[in-house]
Amino acid sequence: MQAQLLSKIKPIIDLQQDQLSYYMILSSQSSIETRLPQDVLFQDGVLMFQNKKPLTFYMIYAGDEDLHIDIHFQAYCQVNLIEIRVLSSNCTLHKTMKLDEGATVHAFSENLSESAKSLEDVYLQAYANCQYGYSELSDDAFEGRYHFYLDGPEANAKVRTAILSKNQENKHYEILIQHNQPMTYGQMDNYGVVKDKGRLVIDGIGTITKGQHGSSAHQTNKIMMFDESCYACANPYLYIDDYDVQASHAAAVGKMDEEHLYYLQSRGLTKKQAMQLITYGYLMPVVEVIDNDMIKKHFEQSLSKVGA
Amino acid sequence: MSTLKIENLHVEVGEKEILKGLNLEINTGEVHAIMGPNGNGKSTLLSTIMGHPKYTVTQGKITLDGQDVLAMSVDERARAGLFLGMQYPQEIPGITNSDFLRAAINAKRDEPISLFKFIRTLDKNIEELGMDENLAHRYLNEGFSGGEKKRNEILQMKLLQPRFALLDEIDSGLDVDALRVVAGAINSMRSDEFGCIMVSHYERMFELVKPTHVHVLVQGQIVMSGGYELVEKIDQEGYEWVKELGYDIEQNERQPIILEACGKKGQ
Repeated sequence: MQAQLLSKIKPIIDLQQDQLSYYMILSSQSSIETRLPQDVLFQDGVLMFQNKKPLTFYMIYAGDEDLHIDIHFQAYCQVNLIEIRVLSSNCTLHKTMKLDEGATVHAFSENLSESAKSLEDVYLQAYANCQYGYSELSDDAFEGRYHFYLDGPEANAKVRTAILSKNQENKHYEILIQHNQPMTYGQMDNYGVVKDKGRLVIDGIGTITKGQHGSSAHQTNKIMMFDESCYACANPYLYIDDYDVQASHAAAVGKMDEEHLYYLQSRGLTKKQAMQLITYGYLMPVVEVIDNDMIKKHFEQSLSKVGA
Repeated sequence: MSTLKIENLHVEVGEKEILKGLNLEINTGEVHAIMGPNGNGKSTLLSTIMGHPKYTVTQGKITLDGQDVLAMSVDERARAGLFLGMQYPQEIPGITNSDFLRAAINAKRDEPISLFKFIRTLDKNIEELGMDENLAHRYLNEGFSGGEKKRNEILQMKLLQPRFALLDEIDSGLDVDALRVVAGAINSMRSDEFGCIMVSHYERMFELVKPTHVHVLVQGQIVMSGGYELVEKIDQEGYEWVKELGYDIEQNERQPIILEACGKKGQ
């Protein structure tokens, strides 16, 4: 395994030290390194989870070419999934996840990529439950398209995204939760901070198709800009085609409060330190609403490195 | 001994001149009380010393042991030993009090404070100030009562150990017991290494923290300086007597709003 890759992912997992973790490193379609437990299989490009006991699994996407992966969680399996994306410039990750009936996946995904793309589709069957935390603090442009399809009754998806765009980075994220069955629940909270001529567009899309009564679609999109040289756009879209549903959205783009900066500086923090703390504080509410300890812990660790 | 010196200070907010040639000199070991009617420049003075960007200094100078304070950024002033206990402390979500306090302490040190020493110091001061034990884990001033915010300002002052503290109506929002605790904390800081400028409207505060010098600030200037007897005079007589010195008093009190539709205008 490349030393450079190991050093990049070391803050999240030290594979040389940690001999007990299960993982897959996908470097290209022909270069795949795994340590799998007995009830997780990899066959014909599909990673299949059949575990009956809860399992923690690391997925590392480290390609310098386009990557394709299908992940399948069989009925009622429970997985804590920690993903690290270290995609090289101009690479695209194509990922499909399927959650069978009653499967539960808590996922945290950290983005350490160069200028790349991530196209992800997650399909949830009845009673499946998926919580996803995306930490998008990478030091380059990025395009993320994260789509969640609630294809079974009472399927449940909660998505939290914390994004930092800086140094003229151009970042665009499209997060969709589509309700294709009744009594489904979708919630997304997308928070961004933009500074130093960064650009960020967040499109949050909630779709409830006809006949999906009793469904709930909620979303919050918030972006804070540090100065006027930045560009930010938070677009909430709700497409509702049924009457008996609950839906809400909130979107805000605002400038950093200069009084906050003054207050922190008046205690001796330099402008840079104060801005780091404000960025961290702005993104923290994303973590606060997470009710899974694993995602929460990884998110907190990830955000504490903001601007460091 | 350190000296904070303000000479012929003129300050504007927008187009309006608030301070009009103010002079003040304070040494460590001294506590200066500044009193005056609302809207005459007391808070402007303290905020200008700290470097709030809203205030523009058009003339004059501020020096700390001969160093040009006006040439320093806000954080440089803080690291040089100035501290402003604010009248309306900011609420900053997402940043815990302990993260903030640790960052502030480390900003003044070459080596970061050890976690153990930080927690011990923080816990000791929280206890002395009679504050909520969970305060360290709460977001900075968010959801704090008025009194808790003021105690939090004093907590920061105690942890940062400034050479000069500028306390802007630190007694407002405090009940009698909290006032006594805060006054005790300020008194515990008094030494030859510490000076303080306090703005307050109330004799009670100055009874508990006895100033060495008292100044009356009217129309952007210090019109009279003296000792504790000035506090007593103001407490008994208000500021009407200042008019005899040839100064008009502009009270900038908040006026009640009379709504056309439901007020009793003209009655």
